[in-house]
Amino acid sequence: MDLFIQTLINGLLLGGIYISVGIGFALVFGVLEVIDFAVGEYVMVGAFAGSVLAAGLGIDALFVVPLVFVAFYAIGFFVQPFLHHVTTSNVPMPILMALVFTFGVAFFARGGILTTFGPNTREVPTSIATGGVTVSAIGTFPVARVLTGIFGIVAVAAFLYYLYNTKGGLAIRAIAEDRTDARLMGINIARYQSVAYGMYAGLTATAGVFIGIIFAADPGMGMQYTAFAFFMVVLAGMGYLPGIIVSGLVLGVAQAMFSTYVSGAWVFFVLFALVYVVLLVSPQGILGRGEPVS
Amino acid sequence: MTETVLETTNLTKRFGALTANDDISLSVDRGEIRGIIGPNGSGKTTLFNNLTGFYTPDEGSIVFDGTDITEWEPHRIARAGMARTFQIVSPFRNMTVTQNLLAVEAPDSIEDKHARAREILEFLEIDHIADNEARGMSGGQQKLLELARVLMLDPDCILLDEPSAGVNPALEKRILDHIQELNDDGTTFIMVEHDMDVMRTIADTVTVLDQGQLIAEGSFDEVTGNDRVREAYLGREVDLEEVLG
Repeated sequence: MDLFIQTLINGLLLGGIYISVGIGFALVFGVLEVIDFAVGEYVMVGAFAGSVLAAGLGIDALFVVPLVFVAFYAIGFFVQPFLHHVTTSNVPMPILMALVFTFGVAFFARGGILTTFGPNTREVPTSIATGGVTVSAIGTFPVARVLTGIFGIVAVAAFLYYLYNTKGGLAIRAIAEDRTDARLMGINIARYQSVAYGMYAGLTATAGVFIGIIFAADPGMGMQYTAFAFFMVVLAGMGYLPGIIVSGLVLGVAQAMFSTYVSGAWVFFVLFALVYVVLLVSPQGILGRGEPVS
Repeated sequence: MTETVLETTNLTKRFGALTANDDISLSVDRGEIRGIIGPNGSGKTTLFNNLTGFYTPDEGSIVFDGTDITEWEPHRIARAGMARTFQIVSPFRNMTVTQNLLAVEAPDSIEDKHARAREILEFLEIDHIADNEARGMSGGQQKLLELARVLMLDPDCILLDEPSAGVNPALEKRILDHIQELNDDGTTFIMVEHDMDVMRTIADTVTVLDQGQLIAEGSFDEVTGNDRVREAYLGREVDLEEVLG
């Protein structure tokens, strides 16, 4: 029983960070109508940025988190206009163009890191997020995982607060619902799309720092998180952001349970079997609230 | 003396071999209700898309409130005071009625957006559903919400695409009354409408388009008595003997 509860909590903590990867990805899908294959690479580059900055500045990786957010917000803000250009300048298949573009970004990021740092993993140094927290009668949880879970929850809460309670958030949601109408309502969609993409890049890279603290920064880690992001969006229902919270937690718990009770090797197989079942049975996600992109 | 609020000069838009707007020069006075009619495919929607920045004209210019807006983007035109509604309404479905209004980037002249939103909802008599999600509203209520949203822009000129299409007679009257009331307060309207009774009642001047060209302009009775307009709607009179030989 203890093992079960411990596994469950570990899974929920992991789920917290997955949500912060999935929610930006889902937002970009809704607001830009772009499936961003580079999502996992933002995680990977974020982990490396955390590693390099913390080592370079000689401070704990936790303290470079705001820096990483700001840096990647800026990167996203300036990448988006290119993405906008390739998807709007009279191309016959904008979705395909966006896929090619984000594939390019992904390969560029991965190639850049491999060239600069080589194929080996790098530690993301922290002295704060070490050791364990012991909860009596249940077990001991690594501090890194607890902080990561907390970060995920706080970041997503802040993100949703912005979307649902601010003027900018309202504009971004309006764009996600209907781009044409949003423009007629005076909303500068190019600017808000840049803001949305910047927030997504910042949030995803920051999640990367925490994931790096737990598992180390690895040039090959990106693909896994791209796959996870797809998994979460399909499970949540396309375009339904709150669903990401549920699907992120399902992902974290499913991964923890399978690793503990069955085998780590089966995790991907089972997760993607689940995605296909959801697509077949309830294409609008497990909560049935997803909407097709108009 | 009347003041011109909107003026197009030689406005032309082509799609390949098709000239959807062909050399259209029209001038709309401030405070006018202008009707635009014409058979399907005559270029009415293209004209609206040109005026609101969704298309960039190939030739010609658009001057609104004394400013050349020909190359402007849609959001900039909306904020400058030219608003537009669609025939098929599409409110932001996952937002409440009030949020739909607050999402509008109202011009800076509106200081308190919340107060303005309340005022508009009261004016249109839909304030009782202010906190309802738009997805659950009836078609008629959505039509009023669409009008409410554009009023948040505090527009000088509103382009309406078939405001009476698909609504029951009682609601149609309500919408037209609101239009009249706003017009009395100085708002200019440019309206595409297929219902000729509506046109006759409400439009000051009617512009007729056919195959992308402006073919007639004047009062409702003047244009409906015009031979070219009849031809555009009914087809050319054919001398059967001539055709059959």
